[in-house]
Amino acid sequence: MQRSRWIWLVWAVVLLSYLVPYTLLTHVQAWYGSFLFWTVAGLAVIALNLLITKDFEEHGND
Amino acid sequence: MTESLIWWSIIIYLLIAVGIAILSRQGTSESMSGYFLGNRQMNGFVSALSYSATTYSAFMMVGLAGLTYAGGVGALGFEIIYFAGVSLVAIFGPKFWAVGKKFNFVTPSEMLGHRYNSQKVAMAVSIASCIFLIPYAAVQLAGVGYLLQGTTNGAIPFTTGVVLATAIAIFFSYVAGIRSVMWTDSLQAIMMIIASTLVAFLVIQGLGGFGALFDTLATEHPQSLTVPGSGLFGFITFLGLTIPWFFFSLSNPQVSQRLFMPASLRSMRQMLIGFLVFGFIYTLVSVLWGFSALAAFPGLESADLATPSLLGSEFVPPILGVIVMIGIMAAAVSTIDSIMLTLSSMLARDVYANVRPGASEKRQLLVGKIVIPAIALMALGFAELELDLIAVLSVAASSGLVAMVPAIIGAFYWKRGTAAGALVSVIGTGAFVMFLYATGNSFLGLPAGIWGIIVSSLLFVGVSLATQPHRPTADEFMQAITDELGKKPKTATDRPSPGTTAYSKN
Repeated sequence: MQRSRWIWLVWAVVLLSYLVPYTLLTHVQAWYGSFLFWTVAGLAVIALNLLITKDFEEHGND
Repeated sequence: MTESLIWWSIIIYLLIAVGIAILSRQGTSESMSGYFLGNRQMNGFVSALSYSATTYSAFMMVGLAGLTYAGGVGALGFEIIYFAGVSLVAIFGPKFWAVGKKFNFVTPSEMLGHRYNSQKVAMAVSIASCIFLIPYAAVQLAGVGYLLQGTTNGAIPFTTGVVLATAIAIFFSYVAGIRSVMWTDSLQAIMMIIASTLVAFLVIQGLGGFGALFDTLATEHPQSLTVPGSGLFGFITFLGLTIPWFFFSLSNPQVSQRLFMPASLRSMRQMLIGFLVFGFIYTLVSVLWGFSALAAFPGLESADLATPSLLGSEFVPPILGVIVMIGIMAAAVSTIDSIMLTLSSMLARDVYANVRPGASEKRQLLVGKIVIPAIALMALGFAELELDLIAVLSVAASSGLVAMVPAIIGAFYWKRGTAAGALVSVIGTGAFVMFLYATGNSFLGLPAGIWGIIVSSLLFVGVSLATQPHRPTADEFMQAITDELGKKPKTATDRPSPGTTAYSKN
């Protein structure tokens, strides 16, 4: 199964989730700082998993 | 909320849950896979709710809210990295499912034992899982104890809550094995997601709305909105907390065993996506609870009291507070009963059946059922020790279980991996992590959570390279995956999925 492409984007989201809040957002003391960043990261993970598992549907009940 | 309201609510919840547990029975299952895997026929919706309920325990609503209260937004980052790690299911799930079906595996440890052609590997993984998961279950029990004690101002003492949760967990496991566990999990998950979201909404309204809440935090607790913030989430600590949790979906057998259960890959997809949506809402709600408690009750003596204080506050109608509290208790139960079932299946299948070769399925099942209460009583003992800050203890368990990760990844992706490599990696890392926790959780300035994955990878790869793999089982294992996943795609009679592109396999 060819799921490899999208999973790399998930790992990129993980990497950014470590880097961005600890560098760019350390002084943004508001909801639109790390709170928003990690929330969006979570949504991105859901979207990427939908793409990664798209071909599971085709496997059906065998 | 009064003590009698709480007791009545517990009784009503139990009546409903017991009813559901009994209804979930489907004849008598005398096989291991019937009792522990629901005959590999679980549908996606129930699987998703149950996966959520098993993963999100008392830790989430008490521990994560407490962690937010104590350390700020870093708690959200911690949970989101765990959340992203669940994507491993999208990669490993179909492979687990395929070999489970082909070789009739009941436990993840049995799978590793088969792949590396070594009973010792299966036994070591099972025993290491028990060593780390029993304290983890204990943490859930302690969560119930704190919660009931906190919301009733001590009228329901810690011990009563802990004993109650243990008894319910044993009962749910016994009624119909995994089926009753999964159905009662689903009840709990639905009840919880609705009630807890409502609480977050009401509390935030009570505090003047989302904007006002964050304004209060920005002026009175500005550090709670950044990392490292007040200092709890220093980068090294954050790494140490998140790395083990990132691998949770593979390293924890009570969830990786779930990958054997879906009726189809479509069900598995529903399980994964359903879990992610549920988990995302749950995560935000828990973090918002923690933030609200920080804004409303800044001077609590312990961060674990954040949730009980919020539920007992004037913002939450007593009946809703009680529903959530029962939900949290049920959440702890739903985690514990799954852990008990998984550990007992491992002890019966991978320890007992290997020590007594030729033991029948029926006999293994009997042993599994005897082991269930024994595990529960051990967890009860640990819970009574009343150890501090719930989240940190749970992570100790995850650090130890990370020991399995290289052997699991190697099973699917590295034919050169050997039984000796897996064995040394699991035992060596487990011992190393325990040693680190016993001596202050720091080695060369890094915590066990970081060392776990490094040490286990080095041991697995190093020892594997120095020993010879068992080629026939490795080949057979890999071939089974190709065969199962390469089966002809669905026929036209199955439901088509909109927008799906042409089916491609490599």
